Amino acid sequence: MVLVRVKALDRKTITQLLVVLIIFSLLPFVLGFNTYYIYLAAQVVLTAIMALAWNIIGGYAGQLDLAATAYLGIGGAISGLLLAFYKITPWIGMPLGALAAIGLAVMVGYPTFRFGIKEVWYALLTASLVVIIQRIFWLIYGSTEIYLPYFEWSWYYLRFGRYEPLYYMLVVMLVFVLWLNIVIKRSKLGYYLAAIREDELAAEALGIDVRRYKLYALMIYAGILGFVGGIYVSLTSIVTYRMFNPWLAIVIAVIGLVGGLGSITGVLTAAVILRSIEEYLRGTLGATIPGLYLLIYGLLIVLVGVLKPEGLGGLIESIRRRFRGGSYG
Amino acid sequence: MVVEPALVVESLINGVLNGLLYALVALGLALIFGVMDIINFAHGDFVMLGTYFTYIVATALLVDPTLTVFITVPLFFLLGIAIYRAVIQPILGSEPLIQIAVTVGLLMILRNTALAIFHAEPRGVPFTVFNIPLHIGPITIVLSRVVAGVISLALLFTMHLLLTRTTWGITVRATADDREAAQLMGINIRKVYAVTFGLGIALTAIAASLIMTFSRADPYVGLLYGLLSWVIVAMGGLGGVIGVLYSGLILGIIESLGMTLISAGARELFLYLTFLIIIWLRPRGLFARR
Repeated sequence: MVLVRVKALDRKTITQLLVVLIIFSLLPFVLGFNTYYIYLAAQVVLTAIMALAWNIIGGYAGQLDLAATAYLGIGGAISGLLLAFYKITPWIGMPLGALAAIGLAVMVGYPTFRFGIKEVWYALLTASLVVIIQRIFWLIYGSTEIYLPYFEWSWYYLRFGRYEPLYYMLVVMLVFVLWLNIVIKRSKLGYYLAAIREDELAAEALGIDVRRYKLYALMIYAGILGFVGGIYVSLTSIVTYRMFNPWLAIVIAVIGLVGGLGSITGVLTAAVILRSIEEYLRGTLGATIPGLYLLIYGLLIVLVGVLKPEGLGGLIESIRRRFRGGSYG
Repeated sequence: MVVEPALVVESLINGVLNGLLYALVALGLALIFGVMDIINFAHGDFVMLGTYFTYIVATALLVDPTLTVFITVPLFFLLGIAIYRAVIQPILGSEPLIQIAVTVGLLMILRNTALAIFHAEPRGVPFTVFNIPLHIGPITIVLSRVVAGVISLALLFTMHLLLTRTTWGITVRATADDREAAQLMGINIRKVYAVTFGLGIALTAIAASLIMTFSRADPYVGLLYGLLSWVIVAMGGLGGVIGVLYSGLILGIIESLGMTLISAGARELFLYLTFLIIIWLRPRGLFARR
């Protein structure tokens, strides 16, 4: 049985993907190739990739996963440590990182779904997972930051004196993840996941192997993050236990929720807007009022949740409908 | 590896004392979750807020942190009712994802307000009368830990009696068992919920004042206490105060022994690994919500 059949996308979707690609590709020109701004733009794109990867497990399958940084960190640690200690190219490190992240996802996801852990317990378990991996990494490597070797311009080692190459790699990844989101949403797997999200018991009664498809969604999500982890450490130049950041994982889930569960445009918009506001506030008021952007995230999600309790996605969905007819997928 | 027996005994005693305090920290959450079926992710950050209020009151009045409860507990009770009315009531009975999202938002508001006001530097109370080391042979225990453990145990016991021996307790337990039936018996559900939430939050203020006798207020501790409380609730199931007490003790002992025998920096590792194993091995029926 073919779960995800890659069909030729219709012209409208291809146009939309191309528009995203062109807008993000032109951004460095608008920003005047300013190193700091390019770095921030890369962070925004990275957040969008993470939120869209989360969309597959959180939005489509409806599992409130809070372990995004465990998978990102595992991928980053493997790719980064191979480069720092053995001079192995990230082009090998990144697929290995993705495999390790998928391995971790299976190790944790299999028993978790097998024992029917969901809702709050799933959220807690995944939040704990980030801290567990962080502490294990800390026990092995301690608090020292491991620096990646410096190269002025090396595609082989993915190390550059500038941020543009990494930025463009992230943009390519973003378009790939968008494409993956669209393909999955329209596939058999996508419909299974939607059924599971809406009513797990009913889905099971219809003969859907709930455990298996939840695990598939988790593996895809972990694989993307594990791969991107390699680009992430190249961007920050260091491997540290702080990569396994439980707060960032929560922020990613919040972005996914504010963006609207399963809504591709919503999640992309939320990631870009929220992360840009965050960087702006950090740049202007960060010194006087630390954590202001998180305060705003908090207020936003409480307001959306309390005022629109029938679904967080609904708000953005209805606004979007008012402004434009179509959407991705 | 040779481990001194005295060290193990000391670690065990500390684990038991900590475990009692952890049970107290989790008690408010267990009450709110058990009675109202509300998933409160912000619980740990109420504890964090409590430590700051304790710090403010203790510094302003120059009293021992344990005495601040006379101000912070009524304040937190009212705060709890206010938050219940503004944020919790609208999401009663809505799907878990919404409840988690909204209380995560609440958590972010609490934590970052504290961060905005106090910045990231931890604050300690000016003094506490309980900061005295007790020497019993080769074992050394700090008095403040003993006080925190004993007060926690007393409060847990009081709460147990309140829930099992008073009319109010019967009302609360009836509401927890069957909301509709309780309503038909003439119980004012909204009032029970508001008071339960207020009480659950007020309990964090007491726990916070005890924490402040040996620790400092820090905007980042919320996550630890929040996850810790949920771990205890998960382990105790909905087994009432006794379940919470046993779970707290088990976690306290595992954490203390792990820190002594393996590494003090890996504190969270022992807590969450225990959680992972327990949540996997416990039959799903005990975790499934009605």
